[in-house]
Amino acid sequence: MTEKWRLIDMRIENAPTQMAIDEAIAMARLKHDTPNTIRVYRWQPSAVSIGYFQSIKKEVNLEACEEYGVDVIRRITGGGAVYHDYGGEITYSLVAPESHPKMPRDILESYKEICGAIINGLGNLGVEAEFVPVNDIGAGGKKISGNAQTRRHGVVLQHGTVLVDSDIKRMFEVLRVSKAKISDKLIAAVEERVTNIRRYLDREVSFNEARNALVKGFEDSFDIELEPGQLTTEEEELVKELHAKYSSHDWVYQR
Amino acid sequence: MKAEYKVPGGKLLACEVEYDQAITGIKIFGDFFMHPEPAIVDLEQVIHGKKREELPKAVSGFFENSDIILFGAAPLDFVKVIEMALDSE
Repeated sequence: MTEKWRLIDMRIENAPTQMAIDEAIAMARLKHDTPNTIRVYRWQPSAVSIGYFQSIKKEVNLEACEEYGVDVIRRITGGGAVYHDYGGEITYSLVAPESHPKMPRDILESYKEICGAIINGLGNLGVEAEFVPVNDIGAGGKKISGNAQTRRHGVVLQHGTVLVDSDIKRMFEVLRVSKAKISDKLIAAVEERVTNIRRYLDREVSFNEARNALVKGFEDSFDIELEPGQLTTEEEELVKELHAKYSSHDWVYQR
Repeated sequence: MKAEYKVPGGKLLACEVEYDQAITGIKIFGDFFMHPEPAIVDLEQVIHGKKREELPKAVSGFFENSDIILFGAAPLDFVKVIEMALDSE
């Protein structure tokens, strides 16, 4: 019988809530109170998330974020800064124990395994993507997805961004590139390093189409059936507690 | 004093350092991965109070005596970026 995991499907929330949900599921999974879970979600308002060790002032143009109404948040995972464009980006997260037969104990191998599901999903859309170690996925030699993982007492939490139709110009305004430097030349250079699904396929791709492809990618890669579900009461309580952390100046501006 | 160092084939490391005969302030930044993440504070505490010449042994020893896993940077890359900051003035 096919193993069933929970799917928390396309919740649209603000940055502190999204990060609180990911951590809450990992904490609940640690106590065996919740099933293995995949989430696909979008951020409203758009947000920049920075890695655990990054300097907010070095990585984020805070004035541009304020001007455009873009939230800024620090993740519990390492890695780099990501622009989560409400109009053009899907984030996924996976929570499962590292003891799961499909989950390599080795962290680098597990990146490859989980990113393999995203690559499958992109393949369902016609995007030929490949894993770029340590934590990226490329298509046509350009980055189309970035991923970050943490582990807490045997539980794996990996989340990542999939660029569907992200505004690349806005991306490099809110990430730390001064406005004076945003010349056509620089944007052209940036565009050579980053792509998105719409640009790669040269056609419109709806969020629903991208979501369906990613969900099927996870099901096929992990040989699971994803059943739509909701957060448990305990998880919702944890989200409330963690929301306060993720909203706090001490957390966001700690580095 | 500040420095940034892109590890060849790896991630970006950066630091801000204060030094008065020994390290009196240290903050490490970057897009590397360290598991568990909160260990960065322990690393900064180990570095605090060390003289420049004590850094390689202190930092190597810190990682050798722990279960910390690093991706995108090696222990001595942290020493390198600190030394670059110290040399910046």
